[in-house]
Amino acid sequence: MDTLLNVGHGFGVALLPINLLYCFIGVFIGTLVGVLPGIGPISAMSLLLPVTLSGTPESGIIMMAGIYYGSMYGGSTTSILVNIPGEAASVVTCIDGHEMAKQGRAGPALGISAFGSFIAGTFALIALMLVAPKLASVAIAFGPAEYFSLMVLGLVVLTFLTQGSMAKALLMACIGVVLGLVGLDSITAMPRLTFGRLELIDGIGLVPVVMGLFGIAEVLLNTEQVIKRDVINTRITHLLPNKADWKASLGPVSRGTVLGFCLGILPGGGAVISSFASYALEKRLSKTPERFGKGAIEGVAGPESANNAAAGGAFIPLMTLGIPPNVVMALLLGAFVIHGLQPGPLLITQNPGLFWGIVASMYIGNLMLLVLNLPMIGMWVQLLKLPYNVLFPLIILFTIIGVYCSSNNVFDVYVMIAFGVIGYFMRKLGYEPAPLVLAFVLGPMLENNLRKSLILSQGDLMTFVERPISAACLAFALVLLIGPLLPALRRKRELVALDEGA
Amino acid sequence: MSNDANVKFRLSNSELWGGLIGLAFGGFVIWSGLKLKLGTINDPGSGYVLFYTGILICLFAITIIVSAVTEGGPTLASRWENTRWTKPLLIIACLTLFAFALDTFGFLLSAIPLMVLLLRVIDPVRWSLTIPLSILAPLGMWWILKHLLGIQLPSGVFEIG
Repeated sequence: MDTLLNVGHGFGVALLPINLLYCFIGVFIGTLVGVLPGIGPISAMSLLLPVTLSGTPESGIIMMAGIYYGSMYGGSTTSILVNIPGEAASVVTCIDGHEMAKQGRAGPALGISAFGSFIAGTFALIALMLVAPKLASVAIAFGPAEYFSLMVLGLVVLTFLTQGSMAKALLMACIGVVLGLVGLDSITAMPRLTFGRLELIDGIGLVPVVMGLFGIAEVLLNTEQVIKRDVINTRITHLLPNKADWKASLGPVSRGTVLGFCLGILPGGGAVISSFASYALEKRLSKTPERFGKGAIEGVAGPESANNAAAGGAFIPLMTLGIPPNVVMALLLGAFVIHGLQPGPLLITQNPGLFWGIVASMYIGNLMLLVLNLPMIGMWVQLLKLPYNVLFPLIILFTIIGVYCSSNNVFDVYVMIAFGVIGYFMRKLGYEPAPLVLAFVLGPMLENNLRKSLILSQGDLMTFVERPISAACLAFALVLLIGPLLPALRRKRELVALDEGA
Repeated sequence: MSNDANVKFRLSNSELWGGLIGLAFGGFVIWSGLKLKLGTINDPGSGYVLFYTGILICLFAITIIVSAVTEGGPTLASRWENTRWTKPLLIIACLTLFAFALDTFGFLLSAIPLMVLLLRVIDPVRWSLTIPLSILAPLGMWWILKHLLGIQLPSGVFEIG
């Protein structure tokens, strides 16, 4: 009953005209950046982070959330029609989605992707409504030791799932922690690694770091290659899947939804992992696995549902524990902090309007996306024809303006350019930026909780293993760290390790 | 990739260079941690976490170096093989020029030439599109920010914008 009342209260907030407008802007921009290759939700969210300052916290966060799940929808359009993933979570959709398009079945592929995403998004929201308050009530009992261990686990999971060498991913995570510690020490107020620059006293900004590593570096990488676009030129018809399509897709959509939601909750997991896991699962369960890769609708329905369910699930650790499970959620945490809010176990009780308003807006956003995606396919196809040599100068211009607006400071533009160059060389040498950014956000919290637990336990390191939740997190993290040394686990890691960056 | 793409203990091994840069950075972090005071385990100081993170960085960097020497790694040149490596270099040069010009000349006077350069130098776009896009995009953004959102972009010594 309480949940229903809260949901009603949430809809009251989400249905305010201004929040509806922000929600629409969010899902529209999300779909746009999902459709356009070379600019993903991370760049778009950091670009628009300063814009959230102009409205209420509800409006700003509703818009940011809309960009995230909107990009999940939009990404599939590019994968199906152009065979270029709009964002990382749609990589797997290219395999069968584009094959379907080449066989003249782009309509059903786009349709099932939109419907599957809608069903998964709706399930994820209902589960979020039910799970989040319960988890938050448990999380109130968490002390600094539990928080520290959870963050360590989150970072280790992300490094485990990052493409390439795990040593490189761990190195990136440690560098992220160091960068996060630049500025005044929160306990002693001593400046650290500021090199006498006043601009660094408050630390390095999240926006310039993210825009540099993901926005500028991505442009640099894209321009060194000739991007060939094989846009499907035929008129797209029959967007509504037929009876046979529905019959084939029902199982994959259901399984993808549950799998995606569960993987989305895990720290370090997310939409990318879940879409690949769903594809692998469907191929394994199929009676005709040989159809996969040749235009099987199950290969579109499962992963597309999974990545949307994961996008919903990822809100749980952020909203209930205050720990972002991936880079996108780290940016959302930034939006909360900008408004003086701290997500965590007390958010639901202290700010019920905000929490339930965001959840309700996500439901409305999912509906908007269904309405947006199906009739506006033609417009997105036209947009896909925009050449990259015209697009990238505009992306650079927007990133410069976005970074400047985040702090009204030219220094941040320099920081962004520097991180753009660093990010480019990092990617060329096989170092992924995702662990660095997550560690950059978690670094100050990690340090704070470590120092607090050591002070509280009077220097007794056993405090981390005597508390069951903390011990379990550290044990799991240890298994993941040692795991790649075992050949069987290393092979499994290589199979699931992905680039979360784009 | 060419035949000499995978090399072991050679200066052209890109993995080796990555590890060495990591090691140098780790050393710097350890030194910074020590300078900031470590404190004790009962009462950790400002440099405590930095110091131990620096040690971890060095350990991971050494792992990368050892792996580069024993297993080998791609050469620096092979990382840029079959790519148009001059294009990102040109963009970096344009952005560096822009960074220097931004404070002195202001947003409008530095963003318009930046757009012209990016549109014409990298993958040339025809002039009939370059000129209007280079002028209208920065001008439009400046107008929206200044008049609708109340955000002042740098106007430089000439106070334009």
